[in-house]
Amino acid sequence: MTTPTTTADNTVELDADAAQLAIEHCYEQGWSDGLPLVPVTRPLLEKFLGAGGRPADEVIGRMPQTGREVTVELAAINAAMAGCLPEYFPVVLAAWEALMRERATGGGGWQSTSGPAPLIIVNGPVRDRLGFNSAGGVFGPGFRPNATVARAIGLIVRNAFGIHPHELEQATQGLPGRWSICFGENEDESPWPPLADELGVPGDAVTATLLRTCEYVDNRHTSDPEQLLADFADTIGRSGSWIFKHAMVGVILCPEHAQLLAGAGYSRADVAAWLAEHSGRTTEQLARVGKDNANDMGVRFPGDAADPDTFQRTLPNGDRMLIAVAGARNAGISMVARLFADWSGTSVAVAASPGKMSA
Amino acid sequence: MPNAILDPTGRTAAADESRLGGLAARPADLAGARIGLLDNTKHNALLFLTEVGELLISEHGAENVSIVETKKSFSVPIDDEIVSRYRGTCDVVVTGVGDCGSCSAAAVADGINFERAGIPAAVVLTDAFTTTGRTMAQVQGAPDYDWITTEHPMAVLTPDEVKERARRLLPEIVAAVTGQGAR
Repeated sequence: MTTPTTTADNTVELDADAAQLAIEHCYEQGWSDGLPLVPVTRPLLEKFLGAGGRPADEVIGRMPQTGREVTVELAAINAAMAGCLPEYFPVVLAAWEALMRERATGGGGWQSTSGPAPLIIVNGPVRDRLGFNSAGGVFGPGFRPNATVARAIGLIVRNAFGIHPHELEQATQGLPGRWSICFGENEDESPWPPLADELGVPGDAVTATLLRTCEYVDNRHTSDPEQLLADFADTIGRSGSWIFKHAMVGVILCPEHAQLLAGAGYSRADVAAWLAEHSGRTTEQLARVGKDNANDMGVRFPGDAADPDTFQRTLPNGDRMLIAVAGARNAGISMVARLFADWSGTSVAVAASPGKMSA
Repeated sequence: MPNAILDPTGRTAAADESRLGGLAARPADLAGARIGLLDNTKHNALLFLTEVGELLISEHGAENVSIVETKKSFSVPIDDEIVSRYRGTCDVVVTGVGDCGSCSAAAVADGINFERAGIPAAVVLTDAFTTTGRTMAQVQGAPDYDWITTEHPMAVLTPDEVKERARRLLPEIVAAVTGQGAR
């Protein structure tokens, strides 16, 4: 004989068999990204709408290619399906708005053969209030807010915009971690002001762009800031990720690297300027891979390799290089973030949930 | 009665209904026709289209290439304003080359938009993007819309190879925009 399963307060008998049927129903509708979804009902939706504090019918995104649009209500249903708690919904809305500000999401970003992933960075007390991971293992997994906020974005694109893999979504291989990259900045161990604060949005805020992939720089070998930066520059400058005249990158620094650089007097802008100046390849090196010639508009192509010693910069300058601090202070391991396109260089404030104004 | 499970797509059945009445009327041939070209910015697309235009003039009696535009965003279908410029200026359109995720779908939508405006259009996509093109045709309410498929990839071809490709596809392009086609 089985023991009835009840909730903690013994008010509802949990019916796991019914839950399984509801989950399968969601699969059958084609709504899932492959993992189980939380079946959403009106009472749960109302909690999300209450937490979001915005009109349900407000349009927050349009997809001109398919004539589809996203309302606050559709975003809420998808966020709930993703496994978010209602109180995460203001972060989802801010992340969505931050992504909508990116030029590439209004173009072909969601459909691209590149298969880019949103990179979502959260600042402010909301990180601790909701339990976002900012320290060890920020690229996941293991933390509900990190995992479900990022997943919510993916479900909105899939369901509200109607962009499904193999159909309108044409990722050649995609990238590991797509729809799962969301983390808090490690403000406690960062030597610099919070990322969003430096961009003019203090407190709870989201900064986001589209990521092509991440590549680690493991340097526990030097205390010389220029040697450390040179290791980043070598990774940033490699040719494989380089398509157009320039390629945009960011760096997600671990606390150890950030503290080493700040201790030597570097600000975020100094790091960006140094990396922009030193990251790249010579024309001869690029000629070997058929990418030495670039015009302002189109893709790189094989040229005549004139002036073989000319150094071509990966980044035009240090402006709009996204530099965040995240991860554990236990090793010198950071990430070069290769952006799908450019970055707007803006942050979006997270709206305070109605009824949760007082801390 | 349990609560209903909510739909996250925002779709209604009406949105799926077909909206394309049929293709634009085709001329019997291209003698004296004014050719429009729409470049989707992808590498080798303009070279390909330019070559097609020249061949239509030299071998099929077209009068000229009367309008050539380059899309501002390869991933977004053209709007009514752009379509109206073509409508007043040319008799048939050739567009492409769809060889990426978003531009291929958009090229199919462009072709459908031209047809709706009464301009016969030939759309060229590489064969890697058949599924996404078909999905977009369904989204646009023209699930049976047809385009010209060529081998993938196009972007890595040399200029001479691009011209050869234009020559090879010429009969299909002519058939697509004239009454000679069985489409």
